[in-house]
Amino acid sequence: MARTVIDPVTRIEGHLRVECEVKDNEVVDAWVAGTLYRGMETVLLDRSPEDAFYVSQRICGVCPISHSHASSQATEAALGITIPEGARLVRNILECAQFLHSHILWFYNLAALDYVNPINALKANIADTYALAEAAGTRQADFGAVAKRLTAFAENGQLSILTGHYWDHPGYVLPPELDLIATTHYLEALEMQAVANEVVAIVAGKFSHPMTSVPGGTAFVPTVDKLDDILFRLVRVKEFVDTALIPDTLAIAPFILDAATYGGGTGNFLSWGVFEKSDLVPENRYLPRGMSQGLKPEGVSPDDVTEYTNHSWYDSPTGLNPKDGKTNVKFTEYNVDDKYSYGKAVRCKDLSTESGPLARMVVAYLAEKGGADIAGGADVRTPAKLIDSTLEALGVGGKPEILVSLLGRVAARNLEAAYVADLSLVFVNELIAALKGGDVQYWKAAEKADGDGVGAWEAPRGSVAHWIGVKGGKIDHYQIVAPTTWDIAPRDDNGVRGPMEEALVGTPVADAEKPLELLRIAHSFDP
Amino acid sequence: MAQEAHGAFYDLLAVRGVSRRDFLKYCSYVAATLGLAETAAPQIAAALEKGTKLKPALWLNGGSCTGCTESMAQVDSPDVATIVLELLSLNYFETIMAAAGEQAEKNIEDTIADGGYLLIYEGAVMMGEDGNTLLVNGEKGTDILQHAAEGADAILAVGACAVDGGWVYAHPNPAGAVGVQSFLDGVKVKTPVVNLPCCPTSPEWVVAMVVQWLLVADDDPALFLEKTALLAKEYHDNYRDADVSLLYPEYIVGSTIHDNCPRRGHFENGEFVTEFGSEEEAKGYCLYKVGCKGPQTYTQCPVTRWNRSVSWCVNSGAPCIGCGGLNWVDNNAPFFKRLSSMQMGGSLGNVQPGSVAAVVGGVAAAALVAHGLGMKAAGRIGDGPPMEEMKAYDRKHGAKKGGDK
Repeated sequence: MARTVIDPVTRIEGHLRVECEVKDNEVVDAWVAGTLYRGMETVLLDRSPEDAFYVSQRICGVCPISHSHASSQATEAALGITIPEGARLVRNILECAQFLHSHILWFYNLAALDYVNPINALKANIADTYALAEAAGTRQADFGAVAKRLTAFAENGQLSILTGHYWDHPGYVLPPELDLIATTHYLEALEMQAVANEVVAIVAGKFSHPMTSVPGGTAFVPTVDKLDDILFRLVRVKEFVDTALIPDTLAIAPFILDAATYGGGTGNFLSWGVFEKSDLVPENRYLPRGMSQGLKPEGVSPDDVTEYTNHSWYDSPTGLNPKDGKTNVKFTEYNVDDKYSYGKAVRCKDLSTESGPLARMVVAYLAEKGGADIAGGADVRTPAKLIDSTLEALGVGGKPEILVSLLGRVAARNLEAAYVADLSLVFVNELIAALKGGDVQYWKAAEKADGDGVGAWEAPRGSVAHWIGVKGGKIDHYQIVAPTTWDIAPRDDNGVRGPMEEALVGTPVADAEKPLELLRIAHSFDP
Repeated sequence: MAQEAHGAFYDLLAVRGVSRRDFLKYCSYVAATLGLAETAAPQIAAALEKGTKLKPALWLNGGSCTGCTESMAQVDSPDVATIVLELLSLNYFETIMAAAGEQAEKNIEDTIADGGYLLIYEGAVMMGEDGNTLLVNGEKGTDILQHAAEGADAILAVGACAVDGGWVYAHPNPAGAVGVQSFLDGVKVKTPVVNLPCCPTSPEWVVAMVVQWLLVADDDPALFLEKTALLAKEYHDNYRDADVSLLYPEYIVGSTIHDNCPRRGHFENGEFVTEFGSEEEAKGYCLYKVGCKGPQTYTQCPVTRWNRSVSWCVNSGAPCIGCGGLNWVDNNAPFFKRLSSMQMGGSLGNVQPGSVAAVVGGVAAAALVAHGLGMKAAGRIGDGPPMEEMKAYDRKHGAKKGGDK
């Protein structure tokens, strides 16, 4: 049977291959492979535990802040450190900035080109574009100038980063005016993601690869001036989320409603929880820790994780929890019936489990519906409010099951951005109030030299956990389950597909030579 | 004719939101970064004005984390730097390009066939598992690099991983990572490589080098190296067991972070941060005692700064971890300990402060030693942990496994 292959999958972090069996214009089987091995866990061995904070975050240049936080939490758990209140708030602010950067960049600059056709935008009528923007309640700009800019770009004949794509695909269904609006916001998003990262730079020196959330707390000591610099940037970013990201999502969704009928994947969702409250209890985080099967909530712990390697290029033992896991690389050949990926098949409670914004929003939604006050009384748009109002707006009120789809995964990420934007201001204001109260602590020394610990946290794209073992003051065990590892997992030892593989099955493919729909599924996970 | 060409060029800039004045200002910045006098700005402008045709470029990701791409995304936009980048036709750039799979690969082949392109390479070159630690559509990453490098006018190795393998090269280098220059030496490809340090690298430095290439590309790409003020650094690649000579722009690596550090005055005054999150940090005191590697790291970070010049590592309260140095993880960890050794340049390897003055004639080196030792003698920095004779990590593993020695 014909195989459709996308390799490299572009507009992602890292190196990914998607292979599908397509029959009668529908995917009947799929294999997803990570094709790069670097060996971070091995490099970390025998070093000082604090060094893991600086080195391990370099596994990913797109979500280094979340990795650095998971790493510091693991070290803190191992060495008996409870971070002080000031550090909790500083880390929350830093994490918010990265989430906002990442979600804006993902929607407009990575995923949007699967739906938005900048070449088609050249046909837009400028007056109609303003009328449409007005009707959609989305951000207006000098659409005429952008159209002129695009025309010059196209007439120059060299399409640079737009070269060679299948712009003639029938899946590009937006009217030219909406293409022009979205392309205009693509350009603005380039600015906004950078503004969000200026907050990262103020708190942590630079993006990528932050410097300050060291084990024990933070090396960043805020002043009212610095918090002012942070606040005005976050207000700007929040405004963009409210006036562009959310209305654009609602404006585009009606054109791609069929995307609500496939791409749901396994329907098993995991969130380690992110954005800490004062009690530092993961189940009480602003986006709480939890799991969901069939939209039913349940508890979860890092001890529930298993990694299988029978389909991965490792000869280390299979079926272990990462606290005992090893990473011995052994490339054989690419063979989808045997070994085909550098990703391990990570499972939670032995289930093929999706992580990321959809998983977090589902877990948070279920918690709220169960009566939890996840925002701790703060006046913000919570996940349940955002999800319910969006379903209402799309005419599917009261049907949260529709979230378990390609469209749901896209929408959940953008709705999460709105919640995080609100939270970011709450955290800054809380820290300003604390500073005015005086005597805020930011860092604590280790209580002991040795121990074992886990740091389980969330990155914009999914669940991240670091396991550390420290002996004689040196790292003698280190394992990482990165966010994308969950979603791009290959088959496990029982032959069960990973979440992205499962989401690909059943996806319609209009033209097997131009598999736009498969790119949409892959990108929806923000791998 | 020339006037018409200029007009077309400024029209192109205008539709991209850039005024003539912005552009000339930008050229002054580039002149400074290239180590030229500001009076060179008009020549740079003239060179860039020559045409409206975009020069082709390929951006390849090897064993990377995409952090250098992310760093590139942090230039001002719409800003002159971005616009000048738009003067390149980035025919392949995995992270942002629209096309994927076959169509993306075709962009590489078409660009190579046409020739006259700049290759920008991010990430380590992955040689482990017989070159299978990086595969793109079944092809080894090493083969893709070699193929693209052979036809390129010039190569920019961006970020620590591309320079010498970065953290991926650190002991025990399980994936067989090396830098671009080292790999190309091995396969005897002579295309010039200019290295841009740090993890990630600075987007401003990349832009400056791109402009430098644009300046010469139409006339003679061979001038790229000749016209750029460069500094060579040697190191021994343990994976390939070969000596490698790297070329860096002199302006970027010509002085230490310590030399340009805005907290330098506190060092002179003996005002130090001794604990993270302390009042001393709020005052912006020197981070030397919590492990700052600024004195041994040769980059322009305090001048360029990061994220549109908003801040940089030391400014946020973190000690420099020396990511701009060679084999930076093995040589600089443990990061929080006091300066374990003062490496006065790659070819000398690890040299202890006491012996540096004897073997290094450089004014900066001598001055640095005078600082460190003088202050120690005065008792002003003597209350920290003792200077190590050898880093604990190297002592345990022996010189052949880790470090540059």
